Amino acid sequence: MLWIAIRMLTGDKQKFYGLLFGIAFSTLLITQQLTIFVNLVERGASGVYNVTEADVWVMDEVSRTTEVNFAMPSTALDKVRGVTGVDWAVPHLRAVASVRTKDGDLEGVEIIGVDDATLIGLPPSMIEGSKSVLFQPDSVIIDDVGTTRMFEGGISPVGERLELNDQRAVIRGVADTIPSFTSQVALYTKYSQALRYVPGSRNRLSFVLVGTSDGVSSEELAARISEKTGLKALPREKLAQNGIDFIMENTGIPLNFGITVILGFIVGVAIVGLTFSLFIRDNIKQFGALKAIGVTNRKIAGMVAAQAFMVGMIGYGLGVLGTVAFIYSFSGDPTFKGFYIPWQVPLISLVAMVLIIVLTGWIALRGVMKTEPAAVFR
Amino acid sequence: MSVSDTKPQPAIRTRGVTRDFKAGQQTIRVLHGIDLDVCPGELTYLVGESGSGKTTMISIMCGILWPTDGDVEVFGTDIYALSDNELVNFRLQNIGFIFQQYNLIPSIDAASNAAVPLIAQGMNRLEARERAVAMLEKLNIGDQAAKLPNQLSGGQQQRVAIARALVHEPRLVVCDEPTAALDAKSGRKVMDLLREVGVAEDRSVIIVTHDNRIFDLADRILVLEDGRITHDGTDMPDDH
Amino acid sequence: MALLPENFSFSRKVLPVIAVIGLIIAAIFIWNGLPDRELSDPDQEPPRASGQLADSARVAGAGLVEPSSELVDIGTALPGIITDLRVQAGDFVEKGQVLFTVDDRAIRSSLNESNAAIAEARASINEAQTARRTAQQQLALYRQVEDAAAVSRSEVIRAEGEASAANSRLQLARSRLNAAEARAGSARTELGRLTVRAPMAGEILAVNIRPGEFVSTQGGGNSAPFIRMGETRPLYIRIDIDEADINRVSMGAPATVSPRGAAGEQVQASFVRAEPLVVPKTSLTNSAAERVDVRVLQVLYQLPETDGLFRVGQQVDAFIPAKGDKTAEDGPAEKTAESGDKGAEQGDGE
Repeated sequence: MLWIAIRMLTGDKQKFYGLLFGIAFSTLLITQQLTIFVNLVERGASGVYNVTEADVWVMDEVSRTTEVNFAMPSTALDKVRGVTGVDWAVPHLRAVASVRTKDGDLEGVEIIGVDDATLIGLPPSMIEGSKSVLFQPDSVIIDDVGTTRMFEGGISPVGERLELNDQRAVIRGVADTIPSFTSQVALYTKYSQALRYVPGSRNRLSFVLVGTSDGVSSEELAARISEKTGLKALPREKLAQNGIDFIMENTGIPLNFGITVILGFIVGVAIVGLTFSLFIRDNIKQFGALKAIGVTNRKIAGMVAAQAFMVGMIGYGLGVLGTVAFIYSFSGDPTFKGFYIPWQVPLISLVAMVLIIVLTGWIALRGVMKTEPAAVFR
Repeated sequence: MSVSDTKPQPAIRTRGVTRDFKAGQQTIRVLHGIDLDVCPGELTYLVGESGSGKTTMISIMCGILWPTDGDVEVFGTDIYALSDNELVNFRLQNIGFIFQQYNLIPSIDAASNAAVPLIAQGMNRLEARERAVAMLEKLNIGDQAAKLPNQLSGGQQQRVAIARALVHEPRLVVCDEPTAALDAKSGRKVMDLLREVGVAEDRSVIIVTHDNRIFDLADRILVLEDGRITHDGTDMPDDH
Repeated sequence: MALLPENFSFSRKVLPVIAVIGLIIAAIFIWNGLPDRELSDPDQEPPRASGQLADSARVAGAGLVEPSSELVDIGTALPGIITDLRVQAGDFVEKGQVLFTVDDRAIRSSLNESNAAIAEARASINEAQTARRTAQQQLALYRQVEDAAAVSRSEVIRAEGEASAANSRLQLARSRLNAAEARAGSARTELGRLTVRAPMAGEILAVNIRPGEFVSTQGGGNSAPFIRMGETRPLYIRIDIDEADINRVSMGAPATVSPRGAAGEQVQASFVRAEPLVVPKTSLTNSAAERVDVRVLQVLYQLPETDGLFRVGQQVDAFIPAKGDKTAEDGPAEKTAESGDKGAEQGDGE
């Protein structure tokens, strides 16, 4: 009987493709928008994710995210090092500065000062040059998205000179990073160097990056550091979450994308619901005949379910494929750098599709169920 | 009113079947206590004006409409004492249907349409098709087996519908206005075939019709008027 | 489907296959695309507390390596041109060893002058002595003549006058000699001051002068010291402890020290003393303009003999055991109390 059901479904090409389009479009819209939303919002945590060594970040009590920070006195580093369970701790500076390019343009940049000796705080991989270039005097490493913003036309920035706070800086490498939410140019340099590049203020130490000893969880250690030093210590995931929350709270992104996702869902429900209802209505006489001949309601429900499943599976597959194609084809664009599809997103859209199909299938099925077999004689 | 009680084992036996329909506040009684026996091996016509209750009567007799009151036995089974699923299964095993509008599934070919009852019984699809093709050949349209319903003429479609009604060898076949949508020639041809192939020793065929062109084929004609049987005989009464 | 030979349906056959393949591709793409949020170990060893300290209460501090004598900036007593430089950076010198000499020609010529004056004074003395002797002989001769008429009275008076004049001349010449000798002595002292000697045994750490350069007594100020030296056997480290942590430091316990950039090389440094004065933190971050409101206690530790691992002026990271303070909230504090006290005893023993 399922075979007949599938035949019935695919026999009506217009409605079949209408259903497919509805499901696929809705899946594409929901998946793609959710993906962009998640990635955009996770840009708020890129500063944390670009540092792969630190388990715990220590900062001033009022600091909120990697970008919104308040500097601490330099002895904070030693205080943190004195806490039991701290395997290592290194200074980390993040501050905004203005850079004068060779052309004389002014560009806002984020200066990131990494530990002089160990270079902890640099992104894990480099596109051009090696991390050790920072040991050369006046060296900075630029991030790859910053490169596209500051040096148009694909010129390699290596060797370019910049002027930072009246100091000379030479770009000697390009780091592979996830850009920040604002795609601000990031310049990585040694901590001691960064102190010279950032206009003076009393305290400079933005963060202390901490590695945990074996056997201590980062949450435990963060709590202990907070208690002992009076500073704010957050595990990596927590700070990343704070960055994400900051974007969520301070931008209209969640609302905008939420609306789009809901629209996608509504469009899906509308197209699929209408088409499916029309399809069932067109075939109501056949279903009635089948009921009269002696097909149980259960089998009829199975047939409708098979039709819904087939439409849903193909439509969903095409929709997800479309999203993948979209992300893949835009992966070269700096705006979409590092975009990925979180595995939860296709599952969410799957749930949405199942909802759409169950909802519309159920409504359609109700019509079939209510059909009296006696109606075939009228 | 008249009861044929000569046959020992009636195919259908109804006693005191009444049926009410609600129309707004009013209750309209469509059938008034019908007692009827239908014998196997006969081609029985149920004839009446529109609104005479013949469609209701046949629906009740084939187990797709519950009577308000009364008993219906089909081959000795009190069908309205069965559970819903048992009743559906009883129909599937014992009754073949032929509809006025054929009600073929447009997206599967003639043979598959004819095989639907067998498939619904759970038979393997290919085996069911083979039997359906054999039935179509009996009805002289074996060469159309692989065509879709909309590629067939009306008479051919009705023959496919007849094949579907007979393919699972039911003991009761009910037809609702089988010739209403056909021209006289095709209707005649279809009815000849139905008479030839459908009527068998232990099978009853009941036809609801008011097509007077085909009355001569009947073994027995029942006339229904205002929910009562007013005539029971081998020929039509003169006033029709 | 044997009965439907040309049964090929895009909708029923191809689309589901496309959908399933699409889902598989999507799954692979999503799986591969998931970002690597794993933590990685640092490429280079960051400074960390090791051994017992790793699990116990401790105080961390940054510090500088310095000579045990502290840094000595050698100056000069007299300005002048450097004529001779006897040492170079890295030399070990004994106490009193000549480091450099300043141009001494002016002093030498004044010494020569003094010597000439001495000779002249000596000649004057001889001449005065001779004159005095002659006058005295003449006077004695006159005094032996009894006949008063033989020698006129005036003759005698003249002879007496001559004798006394000769005496005065002698005395003058003697004072002139003394004066010349004093001048010569002073010139010789100056000459000595033009030779700069090591005030103690130690290592020459920096030499900022070259022969021919002018050195002035106003050295220092903006200009670098002429020579910096210090006793580098042993080396000390001066560790800044945040004032908030002062009371936690277990005074006397050895510290675990590693140089910047070589955190894997850790040594134990023994306690020497804590400076009595808490001072504003001098920034070790190379930023001259930094204003600081943090005060630090400076604690000195003696480094063991290491083969060039530590150098004077180098930054180090140190971990010092903390006292088992009773207000400590965490469990391990009690354990550290014992280890801290033990360390303190060892430190006192030295």
